[in-house]
Amino acid sequence: MHPFRDIPIRQKLMVIIMSVTASALVLAGSGIIVADSILFRAAMQRDISALAQIVADNSTAALAFEDPRTATQTLGSLKARPHLVGACIFRPNGAIFAQYLRPGSGMECPAGNAADQMLFTGSGLMIRRPIELNGRRIGTLVLLNDLGELTEHIGLYGQAVLLILLLSILVAFLLSSRLRAIIAGPISQLADATRQVSETSDYSIRAQKLSGDELGALADGFNEMLARIQSQDSELREALLAQAAALKESQEVRDSLRTTLASIGDAVISTDARGRVVFVNAVAQSLLGLTEADLVHRPLDEVFQVVNEFNRAKISSPVTEVLREGRIVGMANHTILVARDGREIPIDDSAAPIRNEGGSIQGTVLVFRDVTARRRADETSRLLASVVQSSDDAIFSWDLNGTVTSWNQGAERIFGFSAAEIVGQSVAAIFPPDRLDELSSLKARIGSGERIEQFQTLRKTKAGDLLNVSLTVSPVQDPTGRITAASVVSRNITEQVRAADRLARLNADLQRSNEVLALTNQDLERFAFIASHDLQEPLRMITAYSQLLIKSFPGQFNSEASAYVDNIVDGTTRMRELLTDLLAYTEIRSRDEQPLELVDLNVVVENVVQDLKASIDETGAVISSDRLPVVRAFRAHFQPLFQNLIGNAIKYRGESPPRIHVSVQEVGGELRFSVSDNGMGIDPEYHKQIFEVFRRLHGRKIPGTGVGLAICQRVVERYGGRIWVESLAGQGATFFFTLPNVAIRFAGEDK
Amino acid sequence: MSRSDLPERTNKGEQMRNAVEEKNQLLVIEDNPADVDLLQRALAAAKLDCQLTVVDDGALAMALFRPGAATPVPDLAIVDLNLPKHGGIEIIAQMRANPMFADVPVVILSSSSSPSDRSKMEKYQIRRYIVKPADLDEFMNIGPQIREILSINKKLGRSSGA
Repeated sequence: MHPFRDIPIRQKLMVIIMSVTASALVLAGSGIIVADSILFRAAMQRDISALAQIVADNSTAALAFEDPRTATQTLGSLKARPHLVGACIFRPNGAIFAQYLRPGSGMECPAGNAADQMLFTGSGLMIRRPIELNGRRIGTLVLLNDLGELTEHIGLYGQAVLLILLLSILVAFLLSSRLRAIIAGPISQLADATRQVSETSDYSIRAQKLSGDELGALADGFNEMLARIQSQDSELREALLAQAAALKESQEVRDSLRTTLASIGDAVISTDARGRVVFVNAVAQSLLGLTEADLVHRPLDEVFQVVNEFNRAKISSPVTEVLREGRIVGMANHTILVARDGREIPIDDSAAPIRNEGGSIQGTVLVFRDVTARRRADETSRLLASVVQSSDDAIFSWDLNGTVTSWNQGAERIFGFSAAEIVGQSVAAIFPPDRLDELSSLKARIGSGERIEQFQTLRKTKAGDLLNVSLTVSPVQDPTGRITAASVVSRNITEQVRAADRLARLNADLQRSNEVLALTNQDLERFAFIASHDLQEPLRMITAYSQLLIKSFPGQFNSEASAYVDNIVDGTTRMRELLTDLLAYTEIRSRDEQPLELVDLNVVVENVVQDLKASIDETGAVISSDRLPVVRAFRAHFQPLFQNLIGNAIKYRGESPPRIHVSVQEVGGELRFSVSDNGMGIDPEYHKQIFEVFRRLHGRKIPGTGVGLAICQRVVERYGGRIWVESLAGQGATFFFTLPNVAIRFAGEDK
Repeated sequence: MSRSDLPERTNKGEQMRNAVEEKNQLLVIEDNPADVDLLQRALAAAKLDCQLTVVDDGALAMALFRPGAATPVPDLAIVDLNLPKHGGIEIIAQMRANPMFADVPVVILSSSSSPSDRSKMEKYQIRRYIVKPADLDEFMNIGPQIREILSINKKLGRSSGA
């Protein structure tokens, strides 16, 4: 903007004072100079005019006498006046009569016949005046005066004026710098105060009153205004604080109410006075199957649909009634809330008006709850009561004094006392006299919270008969957890006890005979083992010494005696075979102390084929095998198993060379091994017998001990399996066996 | 063959001290005299010159190997497994526990062909497990087997600088 407007008042004032002073002085100086120059010119005219008069007078004679010399002399005296630069006297005809020209001025006499006059020319003042003699004009005088004097005068004057101006300005400056503080001081102080107030918002700041003039009044006014602002500000501040506190409090109250309502277990809906939903908590939303957005602002009757449980009649919501009647309304029993998704929820509800301070109804609040669980509990307890009542078991209770407090029909049936007879009496009535101490023990145990289960004891009927009963006695607690009574479920087990006694006796008998049998079996096993082992020794002796006999006495026995010895050796050899097989048979069961090993049945079959090589070569048998698994078992069991089965297949061959196949396949979830042949077959009549020890179907023609298949059976049975044969006479045979208790894995399997 | 052809035989351990040095000292723990007889025949048939000490009682056998017992160390022990009072396994365990007899070669001569008996012997460094044969010729074959073990043992003894 205008730079002047923005400069401080202090400088403004100075500029104003200085400029006013300077302009006044300049104006005054100029006026003086002008006036003076006018006056000076007038004085100069007068002076020149007078001089011209004098010169003219002095020249009249010279002119009249035609004496130019004198005239020139006269004129020459004018040189005393430094500024008179020329004087000319003209004849009346205009010719120059005499003249004086100041040397060096360059002036010349003007034309001689101009009109008389006095005028300022550019270079000076010229006066033309007649020279008269007796009233007759005899010549003309012209004087030329330059303006040097005027110029000089004015210059001098100007200098004086300038000096005064400067001095005045100096004085004015000094004065103003003093005086301006009188004005600017209070203003800048006021300005400072204002700035401070606006900067700090501190309304307690006051401007200092420095004078009694308008500025003082301004400071007063400012201070007064500040005081008013200050008081208003503090009032406003307090009011704001109070308002904020109130707002916070009401916010808290509202929050806590809202939280309370939201987290309350009951469903809560509040409506306005027209019955439109204003607030709905989470429980209400979930029961109604609607969200808050669905519910708010809708008429409650639209969203809260209730029907009578039995007649399905629509019931108007209690809110309508509250709004009409203006009182608290509880809903009738058997109210069903139909949720939006069609769920039907039995509820209890009540509604109450919300009144404002004036007492008029502002809205309503509806509180309801899902009573499904309670309903169910009620039903359950009714059901339980009827179960208890109709139970075959005696169900009754007694308090801690032993007084009967309840007695069901089962108890009536079992003990013979009716409920009317025994309730209120001591339960000791059903205790046999010699078991009364049980009652005090039961009381003590129940009193300490113990539950007694399946306690078998004796009780007495009204008629005095003793009963075997099984009791379950439980402590009954009141809602505070205090044990107040015992509930007893008592089952009459007299019959069971008798039956159990009989059974126990039978079992004991059975146990005893089993033990005897086991011992006998053990003895037999032991006997078989010892016999088969120890009998070997004497047989060996018989064999060895029979042979020694023949060898030691050569020539003393004839061929008949040698044949006898051969028979002895044959007999003992055969007996030894029998014993060896029997030993193997008995040993199958005595291997438990050894660790199981992984047995590759393919290798077992290969070994067997190796062992049987002689008879295989002899008969031209062809033996093939499926891929067999690896089993976790005792190796010593499987060699005889396969050796006997394959050996039998070769031994009991048919007309053609034996073809024997070992296979394994899964049948009905278990592995079934088989050894099949094309041999002579077995009549089904003997399919069972062949597994018995020493059982043989063939005479001496086919050697054998009759133990082989028994050994096979024993091995298989030892692993929980079974062995059987499928065969018809003359059509080959297939021996099957299973091994359920053996961990089996096929090559390539990871398990 | 008559009795006089049979190798010299003593019945008690203490007589072993008088034994001739060059003869092989064989300790036979066996209760069946017939088997001892057959063994002697087999050794004689194999032309083995040996001094047999026969112990026919398990308890006595145990005493022989008790720590500190002054029993001479035999060149070979032939042990039957089935003995009265103490079984052969027990006897061999006692024998091996005694440092004096820890390296004596042992041959089992048993009527048991049971693999379990055989496997029980594995840890006792048994030279040979011979099932008593019924056939006479087979029994006679035990002689060369003993000879072989003895000769191997002698070589071993020499080479080890004993």
